[in-house]
Amino acid sequence: MKRRAYLDFLFIFPCVFAFLMVIIVPFGIGIYYSLTDWNGVNPVINFVGFKNFTGMFREPQFVYSFLATLGYTAINVVLVNVVSFILSLLVTGELRLRNLYRAGFFVPNLIGGIVLGYIWQFVFNNVLVNMGATLGIGFLQKSLIADKNTVIWAMSLVNTWQYAGYIMMIYVAAIQSIPASVLEAASVDGANYFVRIRRILMPMVANAFTITLFLTLTNSFKQYDLNFALTNGGPAMRFMGKAIRASELLAMDIYKTANAANRMAEAQAKAVVFFIVLVVFSVTQVYINKRKEVEA
Amino acid sequence: MRKLLSLVLAAAFLVGLTAVPAMAEDVEVKVFQLKVEINEAITAFAKRYSEATDGVTVTVETLGGGADYGGALKAKMASDSMPDIFMIEGIGGYELWKDYLADMSDADWVKDTDLYYAPEGKVVGFPIGIEGFGLGYNAEILEKAGIDPATLTTLSATKAAFEKLDGMKDELGLDSVVSVGTSVSGGLWWVTSQHVFNAFYAGYLDYNDSSVHDNALKGELDKERLTAFANYLKMLYDYSNPDILVNGNYDAQIAAFAQGKTAFITQGNWIDPSMKQLGATFKMGFVSHNFLEQESTGLYIAPPSYFVVNAKSSPEKQKAAIDFLNHMALTEDGHKYMVEEAGMVPAFKSVKLLPPGDFSKALVEANARGGNYNWYFGQNPDGFNQNTLGPIFELLATDGDVEAFVNDVTAAFQSIAK
Repeated sequence: MKRRAYLDFLFIFPCVFAFLMVIIVPFGIGIYYSLTDWNGVNPVINFVGFKNFTGMFREPQFVYSFLATLGYTAINVVLVNVVSFILSLLVTGELRLRNLYRAGFFVPNLIGGIVLGYIWQFVFNNVLVNMGATLGIGFLQKSLIADKNTVIWAMSLVNTWQYAGYIMMIYVAAIQSIPASVLEAASVDGANYFVRIRRILMPMVANAFTITLFLTLTNSFKQYDLNFALTNGGPAMRFMGKAIRASELLAMDIYKTANAANRMAEAQAKAVVFFIVLVVFSVTQVYINKRKEVEA
Repeated sequence: MRKLLSLVLAAAFLVGLTAVPAMAEDVEVKVFQLKVEINEAITAFAKRYSEATDGVTVTVETLGGGADYGGALKAKMASDSMPDIFMIEGIGGYELWKDYLADMSDADWVKDTDLYYAPEGKVVGFPIGIEGFGLGYNAEILEKAGIDPATLTTLSATKAAFEKLDGMKDELGLDSVVSVGTSVSGGLWWVTSQHVFNAFYAGYLDYNDSSVHDNALKGELDKERLTAFANYLKMLYDYSNPDILVNGNYDAQIAAFAQGKTAFITQGNWIDPSMKQLGATFKMGFVSHNFLEQESTGLYIAPPSYFVVNAKSSPEKQKAAIDFLNHMALTEDGHKYMVEEAGMVPAFKSVKLLPPGDFSKALVEANARGGNYNWYFGQNPDGFNQNTLGPIFELLATDGDVEAFVNDVTAAFQSIAK
């Protein structure tokens, strides 16, 4: 048996080693840097304690980005899941060409976030504005991504368009694994379509909800590429008495602190806070969802 | 690309090899430079110079286009093979290489330019070329509207021209009077928060007068001057196409001007090749950013990088290196190299050749005329122009509140003052 344990370790070693070197060690170094005044280049590094952590919450842009990211995540978790769940019901139903639709809804997910961002930028800035002007639709005449009140919603819309197809596939797989007999039995007992979905189908796919909610939550929280290509943080707005960018989510704020301003340690401190918040949210979510899962 | 680069480097190396053994007794001047796009031109020029000059051989080595020039230069220093002529880009390189920079105050080329680099009084940098910006205009549209660009030298003249053009928009086929972008999302924040704002730092001052910018960095901003600038900026915004102003990107901004949909544009001479590409055939030029009533024709001109001579090379090599730079600045052959072969706008007044683009030509004329203004935005702390000023400049475009703008900019500079 001893020999066996030794062998196990040998097989797992490459992965453990790689994980240690590229995740655990840099993570530790990152936490160390967050307590210093490192600028990314200077070899002289001074320890400054928790100054970076206390400073960031007095910075209007960071506070705003934090709140905007929470809002963006909330919108997305709801929107993506509602849309993808409805889509999955459609494409597992009696629809003709349903395989074509499945593929079709999934395709936006294959386009990279940057390309997609630029395409939608064109749609928002040119196509919709021209449509609004021609058809006389008031709210479309100004680009939705140039208005501080609508830009987060516009981003959520694009994210939903991109991501709903992917989440839909997870629901489709879960729905298909439900034994047909269960739904038929309910049907014979006189349950109508909506009752069947609410009382049978949704509890049966609860394990899929755990996964999809986790994915949409972490994905929206970490949003960067779409944010970068679609708005790059614009437009400007006033918050806590200072001019800031109205669609700069947390990941982008961290990036700009690190690379445009060369304040690497501050960015690192923000990243640590970002990590903690994301872990708290996602662990809570998984815990709650896990309790609701049932076995067939 | 990498292949091409290595090919170019290999070619430069070969040229060097063939040139050296021919004249064993020569003083060899080694040039190490970072502009990949001028590599062929400067290599050929060095070869011509070496052949024509007895006792001197100039060899060129190029490293740039994303490669780590600064790192390579440090490696050369460590291995005791420092070049005799190398490049710095400004105050950062100056601080780093201070001890290696020879004093060229007495060199002949210095008398032929205002754009030498002398951060602490002595001349250390030879401007390799210049770039510049101002308020670009479409001469054809101005002529149709009966406006002579030479008269646009004060705020009221510029304002009157804007008003007149705005009233004739339909006749002239204009979308808006001026093409200006300030959007964070379109990536045009630098047009206003760096370039146009440079007028506040440098406008109406002597070329080397950095007092306004120095004071700004100390958190002291002249409210009257800043308000005047803010009103000027708001005027540019008011007479621009709002779609380009807050949503547009670089392509949209220059396309509107190239297609004759605007009479003015806030850009620099680097758009010349794009103008040609977009098929703009009208005549173009620059007027100054006139935010005061004081007369001014100055443009905002500065060299992107400088040749410096290594002070630790032997005196003969230093002399040969300075002679080489003199030849570049003061002879017809040197002018031909700078303008026609390397495609740059030379910083020297004696240059008679004109670059092909209209905006570049305008720079040459302005440089010969004098009375231009320096660039200071590059001396702000990293990220300040983009992260802090960018949103403030965009906010003025959406809410039009000049007073808030003045307060925001003042507060922004106070927050970075030491």
